[in-house]
Amino acid sequence: MATDVKPTRKNLMAIEDRIELSEQGHDTLEKKRDGLIMEFMDILDQAKDVRQNVEDQYGRAQRAINMARAMEGDVAVRGAASALTEYPEITTESMNIMGVVVPQIESSKVKKPLDERGYGVLGTSARIDEAADAYEELIETIILAAEVETAMKEMLEEIEKTKRRVNALEFTLLPDLYEGQEYIEQKLEEQEREEIFRMKKIKDKKQEEAEEAEEAAAAEAEAEATASADD
Amino acid sequence: MKLRQEDGAANYEYVTARIRSRRASLFDESDYRKLVRMGPDEIARFMEESEYEREMNALGSRFSGVDLIEYALNENLGKHFDDVLNWTDGEPYGYLARYLRKFDAWNVKTALRGIYSESPPTEIDDDLIEAGELSDDLLGQLVEADSIESAVELLAGTLFSDVLADAYELYEESGILVPLENAIDRAYYTNLYAGLPSDPSRAEELYVEFVEAEIDFRNLRNALRITLSGADIDPAEFCISGGRLFDETELRQLANNPDELVARVRSSTYGEELEDGLDELDDAQDLVAFERALEVALLEYSDTLSSRYPLSVCPVLAYVLAKEREVDNIRAIARGREAGLGPDEIETELVIT
Repeated sequence: MATDVKPTRKNLMAIEDRIELSEQGHDTLEKKRDGLIMEFMDILDQAKDVRQNVEDQYGRAQRAINMARAMEGDVAVRGAASALTEYPEITTESMNIMGVVVPQIESSKVKKPLDERGYGVLGTSARIDEAADAYEELIETIILAAEVETAMKEMLEEIEKTKRRVNALEFTLLPDLYEGQEYIEQKLEEQEREEIFRMKKIKDKKQEEAEEAEEAAAAEAEAEATASADD
Repeated sequence: MKLRQEDGAANYEYVTARIRSRRASLFDESDYRKLVRMGPDEIARFMEESEYEREMNALGSRFSGVDLIEYALNENLGKHFDDVLNWTDGEPYGYLARYLRKFDAWNVKTALRGIYSESPPTEIDDDLIEAGELSDDLLGQLVEADSIESAVELLAGTLFSDVLADAYELYEESGILVPLENAIDRAYYTNLYAGLPSDPSRAEELYVEFVEAEIDFRNLRNALRITLSGADIDPAEFCISGGRLFDETELRQLANNPDELVARVRSSTYGEELEDGLDELDDAQDLVAFERALEVALLEYSDTLSSRYPLSVCPVLAYVLAKEREVDNIRAIARGREAGLGPDEIETELVIT
C-alpha cells in the first residue's frame, strides 16, 4: 500500500487526516467494546442465574408431574392437560443496549388461576395443581431465559464485530497508514535532499563558470596588454 | 356395562361373604414392600403372576411398560366392580350403583377432554374405565362425537344431561371445559344422596354417613386448594352440598381464613382421624400430604363402619375404596419406579391401611 501512493505533500496531508480519524475511531470502538463487555458480563451473570433457575424448575416440574402421574395416573394427568388448548400469549419488543437491539419478551396467560386451567376443580387433586403450577413457573422462566440468552447472543455478536473492527484498525489500517506516512515523509525528505544537492551543484557550476569567465577575461586583458607593449 | 334395576331383597350375607374373600386377596403391606423394590419390568412380571394376570395378558399386545400396568389396573378395577354389582341385589345394589357412577363421571370427562383436544377416538377409548352405568354403545358414540355439543346431546337421558345442558352455555362463553367438568362432578355427588327417603332405614343411614364423609372430605380438600392457591375464587361455588361439616355460607367465611378452617376441622367429628394431616398442613402448608391424610381417613372410616356394621352396605363400599386404593398404590409404585424414585420416597406416598 505504502508504495502505491504518490509521495506528495497533498497525499501526506490526506494520510495524516485519515490517521487522525482512524485513531479517533479506534479509541471510540475500544470504548464501545469495553462498554459492551461490561454490559455483557452483567447479562452473563443474569443468564447464569436464569439458566440455573430453568434447570432447578425443570427438575421440580418433572418431579411434580412424575408424582402426579404416579398418584393420579397417567390417564388423569393427560386428561387434565388436554382440557386446555389455549396457548400463552407472547409479544416481543426491542430494547437498545449501546446500539445493540435486543428483544424484550412479554408473556401473558402463562400463570392461570385454578378455575381457568381447563380441568374441573371438583374432581381433581392438589397433585395436578402442583404439576400445573410447576410447569407454569417453568414456562415463565424459559421465556425470561429466551430473552436474556438472545440478548447475550446479540451482545456477543456485537462484541465480536466491534473487536474485529478495533483489530482491523489497530493491526491493519493504522499500520498501513503509518507506513504510508513514513514512506511519503522519507520520499519528500529525499526529494528535498536531492533538490538541495542539485541547487548546490548548480551553484558550484555557476561559480566555476564565473571563475572561468573571469580567468578568460584576465587572460584576454593580459594578452591585450602584451600586444600593446609590443607595438 | 348397563346397570339393571334396583330390585329384589337385599342379600347382604351373600355379598359381604364374597366381599370378604375378595378383600382378603388384595395386596397387603408385604406385597407393597416387595413391589417398591422392583423395577417396572419386575412389577409387570409380578402382576402377570397375580390377580392381574388376565388383564396383563389381554393388553400385552397393545401396551408395554408402565402403560400396560396402568391400563391393566384400570381394566381389572372395572371387572371387579362389575362382579360386585352382579352379586348384589336390592338396596346394596342401588347404593353401589350410585357410587360407581363416579366412573361414568370419569368417562364423560375423559371423552369431553379427548374431543376438546381433538384426540383420536381410539386413544380416548383406551382411557375409559368400564365400571359405570353408561353402556359401551353410548361410550363408543361419545368418543366418536365430532364436537362437545354433539357429545352433550348424546348424554341426554343420563344423570348428566340437565346439568350439562346448563353448563354448555358457560362452556361456550369461556371456551374452557371447567364448567362442564364441574357440572359432571356435581351431578355425580348430588346423585349419591338424591331421592333417599326422609326417614331412612339403618342401611340408608350408614350409606348416607359414608357419602357425607366423602363429600366433606372433597369439600375440605377443594376449599383448601382454592384458599392456598391464592386465586380470587369463591370457594362456595365449588362446594358440594350434602356434607355435614359445612354448607356454602360457612365455607365462604372459613375459606378466607385457612387457620379457622383447620380449627373447624379439628373440632369436628373427623378431627381425630385427620389430626396428623392437619398438623402437616399447619407446619408446611403441604396440601398433598393433607390429601393423603384425607384418603387414609376415609379408608379407615369406611373400615370402621364396615367392622361396626358387617351386614350392611359399608363393607361393600369399603371394598370399593380399598380396591381403588390398591390400584392407585400399584400404579404409584410402577410410575414412581419408572421416574427413578427410591423405595422410601414411594413408600411415603402410598396409602396403606
